[in-house]
Amino acid sequence: MGEVLVIDYGMGNILSVLSALRYLGATPEVSCDPDAVSRAHLLVLPGVGSFRRAMESLRASGLDQAIHRAVNDRESRLLGICLGMQLLGTFGTEDGETEGLGLVDQRVDAFTPSELAGLKTPHIGFSSVTAAPESKLFAGLPADSDFYFVHSYRMPSPIPDTVVSCSHHGVSFAAAVEKDHVFGAQFHPEKSQTNGLIVLRNFLNL
Amino acid sequence: MPRKRLIFTLLHDNGNFMLSRNFRLQRVGNATWLEKNYNFAEIAFAIDELIVLDVTRGERDFPAFCACLERVTRGCFAPIAAGGGIRNVEQAKELLRSGADKIVVNSALHQDEPLIQRLAEDFGRQCVVASADLKREASGEFRLWIENGSKVVEGSAREALARIERLPIGELYLNSIDRDGTGRGYDLAMLELLPPELPVPVILAGGAGNHLHIAEGLQIPKVDAVATAHLLNFVGNGLENARHRLTEMKFDLATWLKRDCLTAQ
Repeated sequence: MGEVLVIDYGMGNILSVLSALRYLGATPEVSCDPDAVSRAHLLVLPGVGSFRRAMESLRASGLDQAIHRAVNDRESRLLGICLGMQLLGTFGTEDGETEGLGLVDQRVDAFTPSELAGLKTPHIGFSSVTAAPESKLFAGLPADSDFYFVHSYRMPSPIPDTVVSCSHHGVSFAAAVEKDHVFGAQFHPEKSQTNGLIVLRNFLNL
Repeated sequence: MPRKRLIFTLLHDNGNFMLSRNFRLQRVGNATWLEKNYNFAEIAFAIDELIVLDVTRGERDFPAFCACLERVTRGCFAPIAAGGGIRNVEQAKELLRSGADKIVVNSALHQDEPLIQRLAEDFGRQCVVASADLKREASGEFRLWIENGSKVVEGSAREALARIERLPIGELYLNSIDRDGTGRGYDLAMLELLPPELPVPVILAGGAGNHLHIAEGLQIPKVDAVATAHLLNFVGNGLENARHRLTEMKFDLATWLKRDCLTAQ
């Protein structure tokens, strides 16, 4: 299990991601340095907060380019968690309209009132995810497993050239995406008990 | 629609974990005691969420609370909420840096609304858990109490809860001072005081003594989660057993693989 770099760009608490990675025997490093990010083989992009603020923060520090260099030039493996998965998309509408990293060909919008039909938002709690049959992240887990979500925006499914595992909150949405060596989880694997730890371990061991 | 949740609440007072009965505290043990006698790593895998509250009466040692929070949450891979005496954004940030995902606020809901607005702006409203401690008057009417149950809020509990609903909160933790620590079951009458169409999840707390009490709470549609803070009623693998029984009773709780699946490759 190699070293993994957790990108710290000031969006949310990364402590629990670090302790989950350590629990699995990895030795995570934390960095906001674009050079370190572009050199890393394994990257985790966490995040809680607004899409616009997160992209502004990534651009201001040059981390967006560093992530592109790592993923496109070096074929580094990347896992975006929660907001970090949404940032992989092309476009987000949270807190104004903002371009994303564009690594996954889908936009990110809020759950609409008609989709929710009275369900509470944000979508908070453990919900079932149906793993795509070709998924690598969910290897070793039952086809339907529970994961912990906290979000008001979602990436719709299906997505071109992407393996999508779905969950449901009024409407079906992408709970996890896998495209070559780019991965994303809308849920928090570090907050999803053993199920989430297995997803993280799968990412580390691919 | 997410599944219902079983929450464990730890009450902290100056380095110790406490048993509370009608908000009177009794010391049980410190973090080392908790880790040793409670097999905390196992408990953490039997719950959907952990809440850690600093209920220190008198002067609080905030850095010590943060250190304790960091210690008990290290092996907990579930969402964690923390609070108790939060008076400013900096303290909330410190709790988030010490392992919390959400901040529990109680007195500030009635004494410092701008703080609640700031917390929601900085961390999102999903990060703000509003805690309400209710107690019945001799007349049977409910009132809402703050500052560890030492000060009553003007007006009826229904009015106070309606004011809380208008604040940018993500969840409501509804606790009964009368049932707290008694093991007599939840006070379900509190639920009738909630505003209709409350848009946030409700956590019911205070009084659970066994898995049947927990079942009583879970079967109510407007209850999204149930909590217990009773360190002794669920000692050992009590919570794990309760969870197992509730799953057998077909309650819609999350399931996850057993811990030994992590060691087996």
